[in-house]
Amino acid sequence: MGLPIRPARLGGLDFNSAPSTVMHVDLNSCFATIEQQANPLLRGKPIAVTAYDSPNGCILAPSVQAKELGIKVGMRVKDGRLLCPGLIVLSSDPDKYRAVHLGLKKILSIYTPDLAPKSIDEFVLNFAGTPAFTRGLFTIGQEIKNRIKEKVGDYLTVSIGLGPNRFLAKTASNLHKPDGLDEINKDNFLRIYESLILTDLTGIARQNAIRLNSAGIYTVLDFFNADLRTLRAAFHSISDYYWFVRLRGWEVDDVDWGVKSFSHSYALPKFLTKPEELAPILTKLVEKLGFRMRREGFQAKGVHLGLLFRDHEFWHQGLRLDQPLFLSQDIYRVAYRLLSHSPYHLPVRNLAVSCFDLSGRDCLQLGLFEDKIKKESLVSAIDNINDRWGNFVITPAMMANTGNAIQDRISFGR
Amino acid sequence: MIQKISAPVSVETIYDHRKRTVTPRRIFWDGQIFRIAQVGLHHTFREGRTLFHIFSVTAQNLSFRLRLDTDSLFWTLEEISDGLTN
Repeated sequence: MGLPIRPARLGGLDFNSAPSTVMHVDLNSCFATIEQQANPLLRGKPIAVTAYDSPNGCILAPSVQAKELGIKVGMRVKDGRLLCPGLIVLSSDPDKYRAVHLGLKKILSIYTPDLAPKSIDEFVLNFAGTPAFTRGLFTIGQEIKNRIKEKVGDYLTVSIGLGPNRFLAKTASNLHKPDGLDEINKDNFLRIYESLILTDLTGIARQNAIRLNSAGIYTVLDFFNADLRTLRAAFHSISDYYWFVRLRGWEVDDVDWGVKSFSHSYALPKFLTKPEELAPILTKLVEKLGFRMRREGFQAKGVHLGLLFRDHEFWHQGLRLDQPLFLSQDIYRVAYRLLSHSPYHLPVRNLAVSCFDLSGRDCLQLGLFEDKIKKESLVSAIDNINDRWGNFVITPAMMANTGNAIQDRISFGR
Repeated sequence: MIQKISAPVSVETIYDHRKRTVTPRRIFWDGQIFRIAQVGLHHTFREGRTLFHIFSVTAQNLSFRLRLDTDSLFWTLEEISDGLTN
């Protein structure tokens, strides 16, 4: 799409005057609301869904009532309980959240074929050129809210934002939470920008706000009125152009980046220091990662390992290889080598492994020194058995005693 | 408070062929009968290829999580909650 960029001397790019065609749907306090939907005895109470319900566990989603008491995402359970002694803490239940995600997706897909899930609780719908658009997006938004209550759960509320591009639709969905339905368009954008602060904008957190401040931009209106040269002084990258266009309602975010990497991480409940102590956890992470990567039909030429230590030091290293890997044991060998290279011998609190430089597994490069066909047949047989009977029916001996460590978390793509 | 149970349980269900719904009506557990007042959420998941149905229901100021194994058609009571802090 050609963008109508006028020379800067004529004032630059105008705000997009086209009607809003993008709808952003956001399930409010997703995991907590779903838990309150499942268990009506929890409704109206402060609850927090956590990765682990231990005192140091991280709060993933506070309910609307918990948020009102100051409990925030990322807070530790013990801090949450200090703020609210009656806080009800629940462990996350990804299957439940995925089921609701699929229920929402089924309803939304009725309205437009151009539907993109952005996360487990967010969807973007593009109505351009669809018959539904003629009915008006406010009418459709209200209908979606009603259908969700009727078909998925009567306690579920969604905030809906409308705009000429994805960014403004998302921003509009944040204006009134929970249960909002708002639009940002050519007629009201200046008034809404005036009421927001920089960090209200998705993509502008503390560091970006500091960058903008350093270029003399302190408000969203300053941000909107800044020319490209000022923005370049703040970002020093292509981001300046993207923000310039985004704030004017033109689309730059409708990009499918494809799959670039597969990764898994684990916050250790007990800090471990030696590589041999970390090895069983690393094996399990790699097994999960390898299984997912092979199921999606990929192999990888790069392996990356990240370690977050107890004192918040972070160390990471990646390695590119000559030949692509698909077997979990091969990925493990590289990851363990990286682990052994860590110069720090500190207690590890978080272990993350990822595979990058992906390619399709449609062709197999045979080797002179190993029987790759035999290897591939073996790994497919193991994957088929694990798929039929559940993950980790057949596992490497190294994974023994890892028990329920590294449980399913909040992925929504499977 | 949430209590993990994981015990076999008897569940009476109703199948409505017009609405095409299956709804648990009563739970027989621990020598008591619990009449189900509300189904909060019904969802499914797979372990391997086995499909499980989970019904989150309330009865007599308690919340029950019931699991139906579609291979064996056996019901399991997974947890009970009274909706109070743990």
